[in-house]
Amino acid sequence: MSAIEPATPTSPASAVAGGAAGAEAKPDWPLGGTRPEARPPGEPRRVGYLYILPAFLILAGLILYPLGHAVYLSLWHWDGLTTGTWAGLENYADVVSDPALRSSFAHALVLLAFYALLPVAIGLLIAGLVARAQVRGLAFFRTVIFLPQVIAMVVVAVMWRMIYEPENGALNELLRAVGLGSLTQSWLGDFDLALPSVGGIATWVYYGLAMVLLTAGVQKIPQSLYDAARVDGAGPVREFFAVTLPGLRGEIAVALTLTTIFALRNFDLVYITTKGGPGDATSVPAFEVYDRAFQTGQVGSAAAIGISLAVVIFLISVLINRVAERGAR
Amino acid sequence: MTSRTEQTLTYTILGLFSLLALAPIVGIVFTALQNPDNVNAFGSFDGIHLGNFKDAWEQGNFGSYLKSSAIVTVTVVVVAGTLSILSGYAFGLMRFRGSGVLFYVFLLGLMVPMEAMIVPLYYDLRDLSLTDTYWALILPQIATSVAFGTFWMRAFFRSVPRSLVEAARIDGATSWFTLWRVLLPLAKPAVLTMTVLLFMWTWNEFLLALVMVTDEGLRTAPLGLSFFQGRNTSNLTLLAAGSVIVATPVVVVYMFLQRHFIRGMLSGAVKG
Amino acid sequence: MAEVRFIDVDKRYGGVDAVRGVSLDIADGEFMVFVGPSGSGKTTALRMLAGLESISGGQITIGDRVVNDVAPRERDIAMVFQDYALYPQMTVFDNLAFGLRRRKVPKDEIARRVARAAEALDLGRYLRRKPGQLSGGQAQRVALGRALVRDPQVFLMDEPLSNLDAKLRTQTRGEIKRLQQEVGRTTVYVTHDQVEAMTMGDRIAVMNDGVLEQVGTPEELYERPANRFVAGFIGSPAMAFFDADVVAADGGARLRCGAVDVVLPGVGGLPAEVTVGVRPECARPWEEGDGRLVGPVSGVVEYVEALGRETFVGVDAGGARVVVHCEGRAALQPGDAIEFGIAPAGLRFFACDSGLALPTAVEAAR
Repeated sequence: MSAIEPATPTSPASAVAGGAAGAEAKPDWPLGGTRPEARPPGEPRRVGYLYILPAFLILAGLILYPLGHAVYLSLWHWDGLTTGTWAGLENYADVVSDPALRSSFAHALVLLAFYALLPVAIGLLIAGLVARAQVRGLAFFRTVIFLPQVIAMVVVAVMWRMIYEPENGALNELLRAVGLGSLTQSWLGDFDLALPSVGGIATWVYYGLAMVLLTAGVQKIPQSLYDAARVDGAGPVREFFAVTLPGLRGEIAVALTLTTIFALRNFDLVYITTKGGPGDATSVPAFEVYDRAFQTGQVGSAAAIGISLAVVIFLISVLINRVAERGAR
Repeated sequence: MTSRTEQTLTYTILGLFSLLALAPIVGIVFTALQNPDNVNAFGSFDGIHLGNFKDAWEQGNFGSYLKSSAIVTVTVVVVAGTLSILSGYAFGLMRFRGSGVLFYVFLLGLMVPMEAMIVPLYYDLRDLSLTDTYWALILPQIATSVAFGTFWMRAFFRSVPRSLVEAARIDGATSWFTLWRVLLPLAKPAVLTMTVLLFMWTWNEFLLALVMVTDEGLRTAPLGLSFFQGRNTSNLTLLAAGSVIVATPVVVVYMFLQRHFIRGMLSGAVKG
Repeated sequence: MAEVRFIDVDKRYGGVDAVRGVSLDIADGEFMVFVGPSGSGKTTALRMLAGLESISGGQITIGDRVVNDVAPRERDIAMVFQDYALYPQMTVFDNLAFGLRRRKVPKDEIARRVARAAEALDLGRYLRRKPGQLSGGQAQRVALGRALVRDPQVFLMDEPLSNLDAKLRTQTRGEIKRLQQEVGRTTVYVTHDQVEAMTMGDRIAVMNDGVLEQVGTPEELYERPANRFVAGFIGSPAMAFFDADVVAADGGARLRCGAVDVVLPGVGGLPAEVTVGVRPECARPWEEGDGRLVGPVSGVVEYVEALGRETFVGVDAGGARVVVHCEGRAALQPGDAIEFGIAPAGLRFFACDSGLALPTAVEAAR
C-alpha cells in the first residue's frame, strides 16, 4: 500500500553521498516474504523479535483480539445485558437490507465527495499554481491552511454549529450583509441541506491536508520536466495535465486514501452537529455503531456495522492504490 | 517565466484559501472575547473580555478535563513513540524470519478503524474492570498509535544508509547502542513529526472517551466540551471560550513545531 | 601477521551465484585490489571478508583464524565505505574515536591515536566540525582516518574514491598508497576503475561474473592476460579484438581478417582460427622501413580521439576494427583512408570459443 513516509534525516550530502557511478549492484535488503539468507556473523537478527515484542503484545491484545471478538459479537443478537441468540450472518444481511443502515452507508458515500474529492481538487488547483511559480511565503500559507487539521473535531463541530446557526449564525448574517438574505437557510435543520452542510465542514478541515501533501509532491517533480514541456510549447493547462498531474499520482493516492478513511470513520462531527438528524438525514455508519451498541442495545448489529466499515475502508484503500499503481506503469 | 497576472492569480487563490481557513478560527476567538452582557453573535468583535475564559474554566470544569487529556496524551505519546521506535528499527533494519508477515499485522492495526473495535473493546475492558479508568483511554490509543508509529519509523529507518549501520557494527557497537546513539540523532525530524501527529490524534480523540468514561473526573477535553455544549447551547461566549481552551494545547504544539512538522511531512516520500 | 586467504569461497543469494569458487592468498602487508565491472562479485567478496555478508561455501581466514563465523567487530578489520558512512551528528573527533571507545580504549590513548591520524591526514583543523561541514575530499580523509586510528590487521576499502571528482581522485590515490606503505598493513581495495587498480595494487584480482579471472601484478595482467576478458578490461584505451584465420607461412604465421593480411614472423602453434587482440600502442601509422611493424593494412578512419600529446584513431580495416596510436596530432577525419602497421610483439591471441590466452612461439621466445 502506499503511504506517507517520514523525513530522511537531513544528512549532510558529503557525509553520505548518493550512489556513485559504477556502484556495485548490491543485493536488495530482503524485507517481506523472502527467506533470509544465512545470517552474517554478528548481524543482529533474532534480537529483532525482542524489539518488536512489546509493540506486538499491545497490538495483539488491543486490536487483534478485539477484532476477533467483534467478528464473534457480530454473529449474535445481543442487547448487551441478557443472553444473546445466535444470528449467523443476519446482522450483515441487515447492513445491506435495512433501509436505515443502507442510507447511513449512502450518506457516507455522499460525504466522500466532501471529505476526499473536493479537498483533493482544491489541493490540486493550488499545487498546479505553485508548480508554475516561485511562491514566496509558501511555508506561511501552508502553515495557515493546514491549521484546521490540528483543531479537535469536537471544537470544529461546535464552531460550525455557531456559524450555521439559523437565527444569528455567521453564514446567514453574511448572506444578509451582501444582500442575499433570501438564501439564508436552516443549514443543519433542513432535510436536504444537512448532509452537504456537514460535508462542507469536512472540506474546510481537509483541504489543508491535501494541499500540504500535493504541494510537497509538486516540489519533487524535476524542474527539467517543466522546462521540457515549455520548450515543447505547452501552455499552463497542458503543463498541468502533462507534467503536474502524472507527477502527483502517488501523492493523490495518499491524500485520497487518508481522506477516504477519515470520511468513513466520521463520528464526532455528526455526533456534535446533528446527532444524525434531522430524522436520519445525516446518520453515518460510525454513528450507527455508537447508537446501536450503546443507546438502543443492538450490540451484534453494531459489531457487524463496524466490521463492514473496516472491510469497506480496506477495499477502497486497496482500490485507490491499485488505480494509482496501474497509472504509474 | 510566468506572467505577472498569473503570479497575482496564484497569490490571490492562496490568500483566499488561507483566509477561508482562518476566518472561522478568528471568529471563534473573537466570540470568546465578546462582552457576555451584550447580544452575542459569532465572529463579531466588541473588545477583549478575558473574563469569559475564567467563567468557562470555572463553570465548565475545564481544569479537570485538561488534566485528564494531558495525562492520557503524554502517556500515549511517550509509550507509543518509544515502542514504535523499537519496532520500526527492527522492521526497517533487521532481517528475521517472518518479519514480512508480522509487518502486515501492524499494517492491519493501521487500517482497522476505532469504530470497528469500540464495541468489543468496551466489553473486554469492562470485564477487566478498566472502564472508567485512564487505562481504558490509554491502552487502546497506545495500540492504534503504535501501529501508525511503527509504520512511520520503519520508513525512516529504511531510508538510513545501510553503510552507517554496518560501519557501527564493524566499530563494535551493539544494535541497542547503534539505535540510540547513531541512528536516533538522525531521526529527529521523523520522531518530531510522529510526536506531533500522535499528540494531535490522541488529544482530539472523542469516541473512545465517550464510550469508556462516565466519571466526570476522567473526562478528556473534547468530551468535556461536548457535555459543556449540551448544558450551554445558548451561552455563545462561554461555549466559544471553552472551545478555545480545548483547542489551544494542540495549536500551541503545532505552532511551536510547525516548521519541523511541515518539513517532516513534506520530505515524506510516497512509496508505491 | 595477517595474511588473508579465500578458500573456494561461494556466495549465493536465493538462486543467484554472486561469487563462485574464489580462491586467493593475500600476503601480509600486501595491497590487493579487487577490480571488475558492476555485479562482478568484487564488493560481495569484500563484504564477506568484512563479515557483513555470510559465506555460503568455502572458508575465509585472517591470519591463522577461520573467520566464517566471527563477528565483524572481532575480526580486527577496519573498513572505508563508498559513501564514507560518517556519523553525521558527531564531530570529526568523535567519528574517529567511536570505534576506539566501543573497544574501551583508555581516554588518553584515544586522544593520542586520533591526534596522530589527524596529523597523517591533515585533519587537525577539522576535528571540531561535523561531517556536513566538510568538503567531499575532507570527508573522505575522515573516513580513512577512522580506519587508520583503529590500527587493524586488515584494511578494507570499498570504492573509496568513487565519490570524488577526477582531480581529487588522482591525488588521493597516491595518498592512500603512501599511507598503506607507511603502516604496512594488509589492504583489500575494491574498485571498478582499472586505472585505480593498475596504479595502486601490489597485485590485482580481476573478477567477472562472480569468478576470479586472474590474479597478478599490474605488469603481469597487462602483458600476459589469462583470457580475453582480462585483456579487454585492463588497459586504456581497451585492446581491440577481431577474429582472424591463421595459415602457416614462411617462418611464421599469416593472419587474415578483412583488410588485414600480415605475416607474423616467429609466430607458430596457433589454431586455424583465433581471436586477435591488438593493444593501441601496437598499431601505428605505416612507415616504410620501420622494421618493428608488419603491414601495411589499409582501412577507413571511423573516429578520432585527439588527446593533445597523442591521438587514438579508430580504424575499420575491412571488418577488423583496430585502434591506431599516433604521436601528437593526426590530421585525420572520419572517412579518410589510412594505412597502418602492427607490431607483432604487442599482439595477443585467444581461443575463439573459450577466450583463453593462446601461447605463441613469440611469447615462448621471450
